[in-house]
Amino acid sequence: MGLSTLVIIFIIISVLISFSIGANDETMATIYGSKTLKMKEILILAIIFAILGAFLLGGSVSETVGKDLLFFEVSNPVVLTILISTAIWLILSSLLGLPISTTHATIGSIIGVGLLLGGGGGVNWLTILEMALWWLLSPIIGYIVTYYAYKFIHTSVINKLSGFRNYERAERIFSYILLIVICWTAFSRAGNDCSNAVGIVSGLELDLNFILLIAGISLASGIVVIGRGVIKNVGTITELHPSTAFASEIPTAVILFFGTILGIPLSGSHMLVASLVGLSKARRAPMSRGLWKIVLIWLLTFPVAAILSAILYFPINLFI
Amino acid sequence: MKLLKTKKNELIEIQEEHLATTLNGTKILHDCVMQFVNKKLKKADLEQVIQSEQKCDRLKEKFTQILFKEKRALPFLVEDRYAIMMKIDQINDMTEFFARFLQVYPFELYDDIKDDFKSLCGYCMETVEILINCATLVEADFDSAYKKTFDVEEVRRKARKAKFDLLETVFKKKEEPTRVYLTSKLVTYIYEVASWAEDVSDFLRGLIIKYPSR
Repeated sequence: MGLSTLVIIFIIISVLISFSIGANDETMATIYGSKTLKMKEILILAIIFAILGAFLLGGSVSETVGKDLLFFEVSNPVVLTILISTAIWLILSSLLGLPISTTHATIGSIIGVGLLLGGGGGVNWLTILEMALWWLLSPIIGYIVTYYAYKFIHTSVINKLSGFRNYERAERIFSYILLIVICWTAFSRAGNDCSNAVGIVSGLELDLNFILLIAGISLASGIVVIGRGVIKNVGTITELHPSTAFASEIPTAVILFFGTILGIPLSGSHMLVASLVGLSKARRAPMSRGLWKIVLIWLLTFPVAAILSAILYFPINLFI
Repeated sequence: MKLLKTKKNELIEIQEEHLATTLNGTKILHDCVMQFVNKKLKKADLEQVIQSEQKCDRLKEKFTQILFKEKRALPFLVEDRYAIMMKIDQINDMTEFFARFLQVYPFELYDDIKDDFKSLCGYCMETVEILINCATLVEADFDSAYKKTFDVEEVRRKARKAKFDLLETVFKKKEEPTRVYLTSKLVTYIYEVASWAEDVSDFLRGLIIKYPSR
């Protein structure tokens, strides 16, 4: 197979995985849950910030994910296997309306193919362990920070309000701030997530800006075409108002932003869901009954992505 | 977001107009009852109470249309405002019903119950007045609104005592059973306005407690 054909196939696969990442993007969920904007308006915002974020911030993280994870030379079939298995798992979970970590799915696929080809020594476990520490810490931080952020907002602002109009005024201010925070999150998250789509492709000699732009457009398409199911599901994990949605977005936005700047691949999905659980606990409000499905799919992501990549490697290798 | 603000303002304007019309309707009814007690009732004036109720119905309809046209932020406030309006609107239905009843009431009021009846009507008027005040305060000051709900309760107690005093006097009369029966209905129907006003004030109290600043 010629190099140009391969490049086209890689770009198509990148488009596919970006699309699947977009389909699983729940960044806008709290805006939907708090009824700050309608779904149409949410989708327009999502498109803008997905493209901008992918294009302007995607490069930094791409290099981190694309390097240092496998000890053997990354061949084209390996890259394709990782991308395709990640995309398949993302699309499946998106169709179920369940948010998963794109980073987890990608790393799971890398581990699967790494173990298959290089055994235990084929994978850079140290880097993965370092990442795993952040994956574990992110939801914990999200939960704790949201819990206390809500308590603080409740005590210092909400508790001092009297009368419907004052509530309305305060919540309106929160909804404006929420919008800014969400746009910031969407922007930084697009950059973070796109790394998974273009990270390993960056090993090929292609213009990174061009790949990032295409990835951004595909990411936006994914959000528009099937992403709304995930947005609705996450947005209804617990009852949200602009003030409470704001409290749950703060940790996600801050941690993700600095994660992206520092090149740490974090899981925005895990953080946001953990934040919403923290919020629900702080408010003593009921949670959606479907939460166990989200947790189950999180647990399944690593092994399923690894198994998928191990299974897919041989036919892909044969084809290429 | 600008749209949200416009919609809210429109809702508040309608709500305020509804409250003012309700209060006005109750005041007109009160005046009519005074005329009736003094044997100077102009039945045409009662029409104003009916028209007031019809105006409130139109406002309620408009409020509901705007409310559910778009589903935006703060559904809890929208739902609470809707519930308050629906409950207060019930007062209009009751005053309208009483006005219609008064239009067809074929007797004059017994002379010995006139003063008590005036008091009962006064209490009813007062409960509605405090309730409307309370519903207005809910928008800006929970504490004051909360206190007002107890005022409604107190006046309603006086109205209940007046009602049973009146019924006691009426039921002692031996002649003209139809007149006795219809007069007791007159007393009961006007008292029901005060009773409902207290129910609404209880609802408001519960609503205020729901908000964390209370």
